[in-house]
Formats: sequence, C-alpha cells, structure tokens
Amino acid sequence: MSLDTASSIDSAKGAAGAQMSRRSTREGRAVLTWTDLVVPVIVVLVGVVVFVYVHQQSLDTIESNILNTETLTKYTVQHVYISLSIAVLVMLIAVPLGVLVTRRRTRWLAPFVLAAGNVGQSAPSLGLLALVGIYAIGFWAVVWILTAYSALSVLRNTIVGLEGIDPGVLDACRGMGMSPLAILLRVELPLAVPVIGAGARTALVLAVGTVPLGYALNAGGLGLPLFSAIKTNRPVATLTIAVMIALLALTMDWLAGLLQRTSTPRGIR
Amino acid sequence: MNGLPFFDYLSAYRDQIILRTEQHFQFSAYVIVGAVVIGLLIAVLTYQSGIRGNFAISTAAIAFTLPAVALFGFLVSVFGQSLFGAVYPPVVLYALLPVLRNGIVGLQSADPAVIDAARGMGVGPWRMLWQIRFPIAWPLILAGIRVSAQLAVGIFAIGAFVVDVGLGTYGFEALDNLGSVNTGNEAIVCIVFVALVALVFDAFFVIVRYFTTPRGSRA
Repeated sequence: MSLDTASSIDSAKGAAGAQMSRRSTREGRAVLTWTDLVVPVIVVLVGVVVFVYVHQQSLDTIESNILNTETLTKYTVQHVYISLSIAVLVMLIAVPLGVLVTRRRTRWLAPFVLAAGNVGQSAPSLGLLALVGIYAIGFWAVVWILTAYSALSVLRNTIVGLEGIDPGVLDACRGMGMSPLAILLRVELPLAVPVIGAGARTALVLAVGTVPLGYALNAGGLGLPLFSAIKTNRPVATLTIAVMIALLALTMDWLAGLLQRTSTPRGIR
Repeated sequence: MNGLPFFDYLSAYRDQIILRTEQHFQFSAYVIVGAVVIGLLIAVLTYQSGIRGNFAISTAAIAFTLPAVALFGFLVSVFGQSLFGAVYPPVVLYALLPVLRNGIVGLQSADPAVIDAARGMGVGPWRMLWQIRFPIAWPLILAGIRVSAQLAVGIFAIGAFVVDVGLGTYGFEALDNLGSVNTGNEAIVCIVFVALVALVFDAFFVIVRYFTTPRGSRA
C-alpha cells in the first residue's frame, strides 16, 4: 500500500512538474501536496491496529467463521466491484442527462428534474432496497436501485457545474466559430469537471456505504458478514467488518479524489 | 404477496406507526439541535483563521466519508446497544458537516468593506460577530441546517439496526423477511413515513427562513 502510494505520487509529480516550474509553486496549483498523504497513513495505521488487535483475541467458532480471511477477501472484492459498477453507471446516466437539461431547447426541464431528484433523495435507501428485494434480488437488483438513487446527486452537480460557467466564456467560443458540440466537449465539460467529479465522489462513497444494506439481496459485499456479526452479537467481528467498510470508503474516496484532480484541466486547478 | 392491502395495513398497525413516526421525529429533532449547537460553536471558534477553518472542514469531511453502517457497527461493538452510545453520536456527526461548513464559509463571507464600516462605527468584537457577521451568514447557515436535517432523518433510519427505534425498523424487518406477506407494506411504510418526516422538517425550515432572513439580504 505505502509503496504504491509513493510511486503514484512520484509519477504524478513528474507529470505536473513542467507546469509547476512554469508557474512557480503557487498554493493550490499542485496536483498533489503532502496533505494527500494523511488519508492513506490513517488507513494503513488503523488497518494494522485492528489486524493486530483481532489476532490477539481468542475467537470462537462463529467469529472465526465470519473473520475467515478468504471469505472476507471475497466479500471485499465484491464490495468494490458493486460500488464501482454503480459509480460507472451513475456517470453514464447522470452526465448525459445533465447535459441534456442544460441545452437551450430543453432548459425548461431542469427545475422539474431537480425537484424530482430532491424528492427521490429524501426516500430512505433502506426502504427502497427492501421494496426492490421483494421483486428482484442479486447483483443487478442492488446495482440498479442504488444507481437510480445516487444518480440524483451527480445529476444535480452536473447541472450546477454546467450552469455555473461564465456566459462570457461561451460567448467567446461562439464568437470564435466553435460548433455547439465542440463547445460542449472542449469547453463546457472540462470546465465542469471539478463539480461533476465532486458529485461522482459523493456517489461512490454513498454506494460503498449503502451496499452493506443490501445484505438480504444476495448481491455479496461486506454487508453480509457485518449483519451476521451484529445478529449473533459478536463485538470483535462487528468491529472488524465495520472498520473494513470504513477504510474501504476512505480509500476509494481518496483514489477518486486523485483521479478527479488529475483529470481537471490545468488552468482551473 | 397476499398480505394486507396497504391502507388496511396502515389502520391495523396505526398506533405502532404513529409511535414510531413520533420517535423518529423527536429524536431527529434532538440530533439537529445538537448538530447545530456543536457546528456553530466550532464555526465561531475557527472562522477567524483560514487554517483552523480549513482544518475543521476537512476533518469533518473525512468523518463524513465513513459509511453510516460502519460507524454504527463500530460504536455498537464498543458501547453495546445503547441509544446514547451508538445511535446519537454518528447521526450528530453526519449532520454536523453541512452546518459547520456553511457556518465557517458564511461567517467568513462578510464583505470586508462592511466589516471596516462597522469597525469605524466603534462596533466591538462581540457585536461584530453577533450583529454583523451572523446576520450576513444566516441564509447560508440555514441552508446548511436544512441539509443536515435531511441527513439526520435519513441516517437515523439506518440506526434502527443498532437500537430498535424510529421508522428504520420497518425497513430492516422488511429486509429480514423478504418474501413474507407484509414485506411490501413494511417497506412502503418505511419509505413514505421517513420521507414525510424529512418533508416536515424541510417545510419548517422554509418557514423559518421566510421569517428570519434580514430584509436586506432576502433574495
């Protein structure tokens, strides 16, 4: 983990090197700063502490069944897989929809979409999962309902990001004779990357945190061991799985943050 | 799906549903009050220094990244199934971030010319905060409180798997008994009534905003 971190930072610094030397290192311009190391360090430290703590406990059969390394690895991989599927689907749905409702001809749709989004957001994911679970279970059931649920936050961010662009910039583009498609792809979307990316991060973190609630829908993920630990009243196992979910969320948010910043155009970092 | 029709289910379990809705409402209100008090206190203590303000915001943001399920699970393994040990602290923590962030940003957002003018009129530090900065920040703070109310109501529902209170219980009962006759009713009760509680809070804050925004800064 720490090796990976170090090498990724080195390569990213190399990529940003040219820019940094040109602009001198003004604060906030660099892609990576030392504060980026805080989260990985916390994650590794907490992970090691919990690992050592659990290995010092004497576990009974139920606990050692739940904390079996192989099954936990399997569940973690499933968890990551489900969360990433949700995040990718969310981006594929929400960004085009956000672009659609900010075009001139369809702009009147925006308030309705936002209102629908707000109403949908106030419904609890817990109840939605239960309702979906009656009709369909498995991987896709969880992925689709949580995609629909978290698409709202990305959609809102896309709309806000696209509408927040200085009209003068768009005017200048039009004056230069750029086609609407070129303006969208080369100016509007790049300028909206920070805001859209923030929404995508929120969606990813939300997915990591909500997937455990799908424990009854047979989609896999760390929800299953978490809820069996709670229901069998095994504090050590509960603590371990809870910490694993938390560390997973922190790590994925951190990686998404790096991705977001490296994909932001240089001028507006 | 041969359970009771939804409205028959509602009338059959009327007392229980009303009780749980009241619980949910009441405990969410406590959480919101707690989050507002703590959040504004931290905001007032940190807004003057950019570093401390950023530190407070980014710490809260990291805490916000932790999934609610994980935090509930962690606390229940430490404190056992207690409302004050395992349910309130995480919900307050999640409700804290919007208030804190908007509080700090709002208190910092006063136009320097306004602050200068006030200082020139002999306004002291206490009145500067209370009569100048706070009213200017109030619309933003209120927006933060609205978001945190929504969060509190939603996350409180998830807390039901730790301690059996509020409307989340219906959701977990439905999840645990998928395929039994009243699963659909329980799920719908969970969705509809949680959304209803959230809507009531939202409507309340819309009214508060209307009556408390200083006339000058009303949009």
